[in-house]
Amino acid sequence: MGVSDLFEELIRRQLPCGGWSALVSSAQPALEPTCYSLLALGSHATDVHDRAKGFLLRAQNPNGSWPVFVGDDLDGSWVTSLVTIALRDIVPAIPARLKALHWLLSNAGKEGNWFWKWKFRTADRHVRFDPDKFGWPWFPDTVSWVVPTAFAILALNQLPCSCGGFELAPSRVDRGVEMLMDRACPGGGWNAGNGLVYGSAVAPHPDDTAIALLAFRDRPQDPVVKTSVDYLERTSPAVAAPWSLAWAILSLAAHRRPITSLRNALLALPDLFYIEDTSTLALVCLALDHEHALANLGVSL
Amino acid sequence: MSLTRRDFLIGSAAVAAGASVSTPFFLPKYHFDRRPKRSRVAVLRAEQYDQQLGRIVEEGLRLFPMNVRGKTVVLKPNLVDYLPGNAINTHPMLVVAAAEAFRRLGAKSVVVAEGPGHQRDTQLVLSQSGYQESLREEKIRFVDLNRDELIRTPLRASYTGMKELWLPRTVLEADFLVSMPKIKTHHWSGVTLAMKNMFGIVPGSRYGWPKNILHWKGIQESILDLCATVPIHFVIADGIMAMEGNGPLNGTPRPLGSIVLADDPVAADATCARLMGFDPSRTVHVREGARFLGNADLGHIDEAGDTVKPPTTPFHVVPEFQNLYAL
Repeated sequence: MGVSDLFEELIRRQLPCGGWSALVSSAQPALEPTCYSLLALGSHATDVHDRAKGFLLRAQNPNGSWPVFVGDDLDGSWVTSLVTIALRDIVPAIPARLKALHWLLSNAGKEGNWFWKWKFRTADRHVRFDPDKFGWPWFPDTVSWVVPTAFAILALNQLPCSCGGFELAPSRVDRGVEMLMDRACPGGGWNAGNGLVYGSAVAPHPDDTAIALLAFRDRPQDPVVKTSVDYLERTSPAVAAPWSLAWAILSLAAHRRPITSLRNALLALPDLFYIEDTSTLALVCLALDHEHALANLGVSL
Repeated sequence: MSLTRRDFLIGSAAVAAGASVSTPFFLPKYHFDRRPKRSRVAVLRAEQYDQQLGRIVEEGLRLFPMNVRGKTVVLKPNLVDYLPGNAINTHPMLVVAAAEAFRRLGAKSVVVAEGPGHQRDTQLVLSQSGYQESLREEKIRFVDLNRDELIRTPLRASYTGMKELWLPRTVLEADFLVSMPKIKTHHWSGVTLAMKNMFGIVPGSRYGWPKNILHWKGIQESILDLCATVPIHFVIADGIMAMEGNGPLNGTPRPLGSIVLADDPVAADATCARLMGFDPSRTVHVREGARFLGNADLGHIDEAGDTVKPPTTPFHVVPEFQNLYAL
């Protein structure tokens, strides 16, 4: 089974509507696997690409956000950032992307509100974090977490300028960066966003760390970033799961660390072809074509 | 800083929500009574995870007058994250033993399904915790509930104020849902047992990791709404190696040497609480669940297997849950 077979399998899984479902056993089109698939297949299959792009544009909510799956509520979700990234460089998608970026700027972690700041400073202090440093939630009206914040930073960093209604973008990105730094685990790396709970350090996760580090590609000298890259490089060889390994490859490549042995390890994992989770299959394809993938994610090498 | 009307309303609502957690629920927030006349619980002795588990579980299941012949059985373990040396997850050997026992009892199919609440890479947790190998060897299918097809589901109780949740098809279409928790203390909810284990059916792909909406809406309230909406038909709780202290992730392993089987999740949780040295009525979701979801009162619980005895030393809990201890 070769690398091209993995791309073929990804193409085969595209639904008639142009999107992809989360699991191969499902027919419910979902946005996250569609974005990864579009990013992975961008230059491989024009027809597939066009249908995926059309699907994404049709799925946008009236408020500019994107839902998690077709049929979901219309409030919007974290995948808005990911779709904005996936539609990068597609000229007809510019209005949709601008609307989405406006929605992103209007959306913030709930701890940004004065009342919740006060609560987290006084009555609810078991999770160590600074509520002044907030980013983006998984979906509106909840607090900030690492993965949605990292993707929002990547999406907003693609804006060519902070003009035309995007004047707030630089400060929101800065605040998000501060939030990620604040939520890092004590020994480096990130998990969902709880580094220290009840005085105990909570362990980092390779995938969350890798995604956060993509947002820090331009800060390699920062001590938190360096420690986290070291953590990822140290732990990844023992990771035997394709999702985390693929994210680690992309992130370590972005931070100019060697990835050849990890790439070989990824290819050697059993049953890649039969991965049920389509996002994971697409991530594997992205990791095996990492230069193209990072360019599509807007991460410069 | 100016205080807007909206901020005031947010503040007032939050204060009211906070008060509702610490005070009893005076008004009924459910519209049905699912309590059986009598519930049955069996505490089985098992000192370690070994090949004897298959026999122990099958003999235990035969203590209950259940019929799973031709049914789709979904086993829902507690699979959160993997930290070497920590007793976080329901042990895969117990899950495999249960799957084989249900197959022998005539189940049409047995599926293991879970949506880890902390770790986004489900396959990594499966691989690190030994599930991947065990399930593959026994040809048992696993469904990632964080990414399963979702169905808009009206909630059947109103503790959280939420009208509905998107829930996974695999769980909603199961004929027989078995909650398989790890017996643990929990720094937010006091204990995490069969009822709290249902947090794992709330999909991360829709609600994020961790499933933060359930914390904002109230953990005890969310447990009640979930258990009212998706009935648990049976419980197999892993207390062979339990956890005490700062659970659910960073607590200390605590050997309990027990598996708890029950045909009622409230009776299961009340029994597990007693085994941990707690008064079950001090846990809000157990106390409230006993009003409509099942029985917590010993007078309505038939004990099979070992007699339930509180431990000489109760399980340690974080300071906020010292009130759990039985007087």
